[in-house]
Amino acid sequence: MKERSLRIGKPTPLIGVASEPENFNPDLPAVLVLNSGVMHHVGTCRLSVKIGRTIAASGLLAVRFDYSGIGDSEPRRGALSFEESSIGETREVMDYLQKTRGINQFILYGLCSGADASYVSALADERVVGIVKVDPYCYRTWQYPLRYYAPLLLDVKRWKNYLFKKLGALLGKGKQSRSPNEIAGVEEQYFEVPTYTRRFPPRDQVALGLQKLIDRNVHIYVIFTGGEPEYIYQQQYRQSFSDVNFRGLLRVDYYPQTNHIITQIEYQQRIVAEITGWVAAISQRSSAQLTQAVA
Amino acid sequence: MNPQFFGQAEAPLYGVYLPPKATPRDAGVVLCYPFGQEYMRAHRAYRQLALLLTKKGYHVLRFDYRGTGDSSGELDTVVAQDWVDDVGLAVHELRESAGVKDITVIGLRLGALIAGTACAARTDIERLILWDPILDGSEYERELLNEIANEKPSEWGGPTSGNLEAGDGSIHFNGFRLTRQFRDTIKRLSLRDIGQPRARHVLQVVSHETPAFVELKTMWCEYPGYRYQLSPAPHDWNYVDNFGGILLPQPVIQSIVSWMD
Repeated sequence: MKERSLRIGKPTPLIGVASEPENFNPDLPAVLVLNSGVMHHVGTCRLSVKIGRTIAASGLLAVRFDYSGIGDSEPRRGALSFEESSIGETREVMDYLQKTRGINQFILYGLCSGADASYVSALADERVVGIVKVDPYCYRTWQYPLRYYAPLLLDVKRWKNYLFKKLGALLGKGKQSRSPNEIAGVEEQYFEVPTYTRRFPPRDQVALGLQKLIDRNVHIYVIFTGGEPEYIYQQQYRQSFSDVNFRGLLRVDYYPQTNHIITQIEYQQRIVAEITGWVAAISQRSSAQLTQAVA
Repeated sequence: MNPQFFGQAEAPLYGVYLPPKATPRDAGVVLCYPFGQEYMRAHRAYRQLALLLTKKGYHVLRFDYRGTGDSSGELDTVVAQDWVDDVGLAVHELRESAGVKDITVIGLRLGALIAGTACAARTDIERLILWDPILDGSEYERELLNEIANEKPSEWGGPTSGNLEAGDGSIHFNGFRLTRQFRDTIKRLSLRDIGQPRARHVLQVVSHETPAFVELKTMWCEYPGYRYQLSPAPHDWNYVDNFGGILLPQPVIQSIVSWMD
């Protein structure tokens, strides 16, 4: 495996790094590793580097890059929303790899806002044959309140805390909602938060989108961490999209003991291994389908 | 921005070179990152600092030590001296590629200890800037162990940070693992031991005051090229949230740029 830096596009290039396998095969999909929030392409806890290198060691080309205005890529002119620009810039990287390396199929990986970008980009571009989403859009089911509130109702310590908080609120010490700056305890002028405000689209809209992807034979691997408060049990994703016929193309893993940025070393290793294994399996299938289609 | 791999072919380092955006000076700046989650959180501030310095005519190279960021290798195989050597490689790279003579080295937190150690071993550095410097590796290790000891346990069985001192002697902290070997070697680095700095000019810029910062000031204040600057600003580089928020301590960045001007 070797790595090279990339400058993609003019006049303001997107900056990235390609992890190249020993034996490059353009018939296999390439994996694009997308930004999470304002974190640069190294990824939270260097996870994007680890994923890119492990995937390259397994025989696929992996590219991690920064969207414009993030990390090493300078801002571009224009007034596009992150959703719009992320689709355009993901396509730009795919176009580049298609033109320079002859790759026609892609798998997108993203965490949080990167998961959102992988989903909208897959919908917009038929070259995407697989997406890996960590803590993506999720929705509550009828079981959610039961599973969420039942343990709380039986927890004496929680009741005590709840009563203290209520008392505090009555005495004027409570706060209704807090901004990221307030939570960080840092004045706004010294603190930068992503301009992308994450809002989950209506569930029905996402269900339609997922069905479209499945109808296109796009493989979907969803990973939830314990850091996503809206997700609290393994089957929640499938149950919340019970109207989508996933036809065996969906895999869901839930790691309630790890946090959103996956700081635990053992979970980093496990998640990287699971993603690499899944990518290897579906890349063989996608490559075979492409060969069949061409024949 | 020009991303590039440089250094030894078997262990390349990743760096981003920024050419001057004003009348070029015969001078370059090497930026040395802090470590771990602090590296991720400082990336934006370093990018801004680099950009402002290019507008003053400087050539700038910010780079990742081996085993970190995009540079080759894994943290598990790195020793502290490797990072000190990497500063030397970055200085050499900037001199060669930009053709500049005067070099400034800037380091933040652990990056300041690495930068200070690297510059103490040579006489060709014009300026050294230590931003909230860690004075020695033992102090840094104590800081991490204190954070681990004082960490509140996860409530209601929720996810934990995974911060711990493991049985094999490694420290797991905010998503990064410092091996026993790394701990042993980082403890050998100390700004207290290098005597007088060798760079011609030294700026110690601090966002807040601590006994350690004052101690270094006391040690070095007689040095003719030394200056101490307090620029109050937020400084919790280990702050981790779910929003991906990052610090931009403008007063410190401005102080550095002004001093360089």
